[in-house]
Amino acid sequence: MSISFAPKNRVKIGAVLVVSCCSSVYAGGVDDSMVSLGGFGTLGAVHSSEQQADFTTNFFKPNGAGYTRDWSLSVDSLIGAQVTVKIAPRLLAVLQVITQQNYDNTYRPHVEWADLKYQITPDLSVRVGRIVLPSFLISDSRNVGYANPWLRPPLEVYGLIPISSSDGADMSYRLRIGDVTQTLVGTYGYSTPSIPLHGAVEARHLWLIGDTIEYGATTLHIAYEEARLTVDYLGDLFDAYRQFGPPGNALADKYDLENKRVTFLGLGGMYDPGNWFIAAEWGTTDLNSVLGKNTGWYVSSGYRVKKFTPYLTYGIAKTNNLSDPGLSLSSLPPYLAGPAAGLNAGLNSVLSTKRVQSTISAGARWDFIKNADLKLQFDHTRIGAGSSGELINLQPAFALGARVNLISVTFDFVF
Amino acid sequence: MGSPISTKLTAIGVAACFAMTGSDANVVTVVSAKSPITALSKEQIADIFLGKSYRFPEGASATPIDQPEGSSVRGEFYDKVTGKSLAQLKAYWSKIIFTGRGRPPKAASSSAEVKKMLAADLSAISYIDDTQVDPSIRVLSAD
Repeated sequence: MSISFAPKNRVKIGAVLVVSCCSSVYAGGVDDSMVSLGGFGTLGAVHSSEQQADFTTNFFKPNGAGYTRDWSLSVDSLIGAQVTVKIAPRLLAVLQVITQQNYDNTYRPHVEWADLKYQITPDLSVRVGRIVLPSFLISDSRNVGYANPWLRPPLEVYGLIPISSSDGADMSYRLRIGDVTQTLVGTYGYSTPSIPLHGAVEARHLWLIGDTIEYGATTLHIAYEEARLTVDYLGDLFDAYRQFGPPGNALADKYDLENKRVTFLGLGGMYDPGNWFIAAEWGTTDLNSVLGKNTGWYVSSGYRVKKFTPYLTYGIAKTNNLSDPGLSLSSLPPYLAGPAAGLNAGLNSVLSTKRVQSTISAGARWDFIKNADLKLQFDHTRIGAGSSGELINLQPAFALGARVNLISVTFDFVF
Repeated sequence: MGSPISTKLTAIGVAACFAMTGSDANVVTVVSAKSPITALSKEQIADIFLGKSYRFPEGASATPIDQPEGSSVRGEFYDKVTGKSLAQLKAYWSKIIFTGRGRPPKAASSSAEVKKMLAADLSAISYIDDTQVDPSIRVLSAD
């Protein structure tokens, strides 16, 4: 993608249809336009020191850096385009399409957002369609690398909820008290993204309430959400457990992924007075299943020196359990003890994929030309004993509790 | 609303809100001389120009107008009011634009057009080099 596109001014089509790109927003007149086009993208490469597993950013991706590729372009790279149409003075349509590595290793574009927003009053709006799920401080711009200080949002927190949008409706109300602006959001919908090898994730009755508080250079965010989660994953394992009577049923009920009530609570804040920033977020999920209770937090700070913004981030992810004794073998007849031991091993191998890790990241953003930046980031991750951390595609020679070093570079742009 | 004294003071730029020291130009925040607004705090001005507030504190709607991209007065204004560089502002607005939540202020093509737009719209608020101040516009004093 050439960024020579960026400085071009708007193109007028007919008398009323003005198509403008992001850079021309600053040249004026956009408020009067009915249609505007914009785009963003990231070209990134990442190398991992761990060759017996893949590093990637979420479980919707099938592979990444380390085992599959020495240097992977699929982890961070994406291109997005957005069309905004002002249908009527109070009615706005937004369509955002993103191309990135999909669960099936294709790059077929997907609709990230497609919604209609009706502005009831200047401070109250409703949206219907596919809308962002504002779980985190920077959920809105999670995919827009250029808008973010880091090479990628800290995974210890942003990995807690991989679902980024929902199909449904939301309502947003802005409230100003003195110099404090609060934006209250309520969302209701569902989401059914596909994951590699295991079909679909279904998050139904997905609702969220959130508040973003802005005061000068300070932004605070809080969100609570719940859903009914079904994942077409490990059904055979739990069906087999159910053959073992009440103890097997109890384990299956505890760990299966059938219509489980899941919850998330997130708190975050950022202070950015201009030449430096500090940000911190904390989040906790209860997935009420084999996916467990997970908590993560990070603290990050950066300092701007002309066009460079070096930053440091420290993040921790924890979970409730990485193993389970499973069925008690001593009470079983010998011909059942073998299969039960096999099931217990299967359950424990899944529990060990839950994330326990800490990461220290050092990176820098370089605003070297207009509408684009280059970022370089080093990550050192210490995966907890008995866990495989963020890694996927674990190979037989992979050892739980590994130490992983990453080097990543990205080129972010908007147009 | 403004007292005659404060109007007179602001007209000669004494109460210039964001006087720059050690710089060629003094950038001042301005509205139409017919606007009832006489003073705003730095935070209130920042909120209006960053799209966090659509209104003046009294409740009337506020329409921020930018100077042309690349003008030195624009860089000075944002540095002074928001502490952000123009590159940071780009990143800030790309965040807002790609959520469909808002747009940056409209930009005038020159200081002369800024004055024209202020005269045409009492909700308009902009900034200007203090040497460009004339009786058609009012310099806001710091609150």
